[in-house]
Amino acid sequence: MRSVKAMFVKQTLDMFRNWPVLIQYVVYPAVAFVFTVLVAKADETIADTMFVAMFSSIFAGMALVFSAMAVIAEDRETKSLRFLVMAGVKPHEYLIGVGGVIFLFGLGVSVVFALIGGYSGAEFFKFLLVMVLGSAASILLGASIGILSKNQQSASAVGIPVSMVLGFAPMVTMFNETAKQIFDIFYTQQVNVVANDVSTDIARPVLIILANIAALAALFAAAYRKKRLG
Amino acid sequence: MIEMRNIVKRFGTQTVLNDVNFTARDGEIFGLLGPSGAGKTTIINILTRQLYADGGSHSTGAEPFETGLMLDQDGLYARLTCAENLNVVADIYGMPRKKSIEALQSVGLGDAVKKTVQALSWGMRQRLALARAILHEPKVLFLDEPTSGLDPATARGIHQLILNLKEKGATVFLTTHNMDEAVKLCDRVALLHKGKIVENGAPSEICERHGAVKTVPDLESVFIKLTGAVLE
Repeated sequence: MRSVKAMFVKQTLDMFRNWPVLIQYVVYPAVAFVFTVLVAKADETIADTMFVAMFSSIFAGMALVFSAMAVIAEDRETKSLRFLVMAGVKPHEYLIGVGGVIFLFGLGVSVVFALIGGYSGAEFFKFLLVMVLGSAASILLGASIGILSKNQQSASAVGIPVSMVLGFAPMVTMFNETAKQIFDIFYTQQVNVVANDVSTDIARPVLIILANIAALAALFAAAYRKKRLG
Repeated sequence: MIEMRNIVKRFGTQTVLNDVNFTARDGEIFGLLGPSGAGKTTIINILTRQLYADGGSHSTGAEPFETGLMLDQDGLYARLTCAENLNVVADIYGMPRKKSIEALQSVGLGDAVKKTVQALSWGMRQRLALARAILHEPKVLFLDEPTSGLDPATARGIHQLILNLKEKGATVFLTTHNMDEAVKLCDRVALLHKGKIVENGAPSEICERHGAVKTVPDLESVFIKLTGAVLE
């Protein structure tokens, strides 16, 4: 518990000074707000929640993956992670502490998305639930990429295309039925499905996201062991 | 007691450590000397369980939490202040945060408590890394090239800190390619060349054995005497 708290405090202090990471928590909701107000609200043929659905799934798939990846790759590159391992910090303690801060930042942005989307009551909480689960999946994926990469540059080389596929997959599925079937297994697609029609039954999306989380948790554990950090 | 017996380490087809044997006794400063690429950091990595050996056995006589480590790369959080960096360690070990300030003062960084790491000079970063390594008063301390790239005055300050740690009973294992540093600090040394220990023992004994005892000009002392530069 001590190590989790130490990691949490360290990451909180660092996040507020890490502008390249912090800016992402502002840009996506800001763009969603602008498009919702200027386009969706002005055009009756477009659903009010369309841009919230679009940018919330891009946020979950890109910003959170990038955040976790950047933070952990930096800790690896500067050898801070190696020091923590020596000090007895366990993989799950590191992930809960560091990932917890990214998760809370993500939760804050999810609430902002929900407010922009005008969700209320049960719909508000349904949207938040899938965003919370999607955030957890993204953090695990970003953490795995960060750990497997030698430095931030090599992390970006892998992480950016991966997060682009995840983030933009829901947009592609709007135009292509085959892509819709393929990307159905992606958690970002399920976030998009719920955000687009929050009155839908969320049991299936939640199950798919949970399966993503389980697979990505296994990937994280394998990455940690592979790099001899455990 | 830090011990390595018949350690072998390979990276691919290259053997970087070949039948390495040595013992560092409790409470002494033990130096591992050798040029860059000799395998010094690999030995520290194996002893601190960052790497697995391909053969042989080793022990440090201490649990991980009783071990302090100063890395070849400092591993500090650049955007955090000196005090915040040490507070992370204090929190991990469950120590009061006032220990962070005490540790900073002990390495002459009492005035840099609120400075971020990215605003520090290389010498100050080295001292901060040392403060972090000794914060929890470890039984065994591993120092990888602790004075690499430092000016003579700062290096001398770090030497004094290392000697103070020894006085407090810590076992210090350091790597260096600086022979003068080893002679000044170490009770015993092992000379490492291309992954093999070629000699070990007390520096004076080794020099006598090889007829290498001589008086040489000590420019470092002259520089410090002339400039009066000292570690805070």
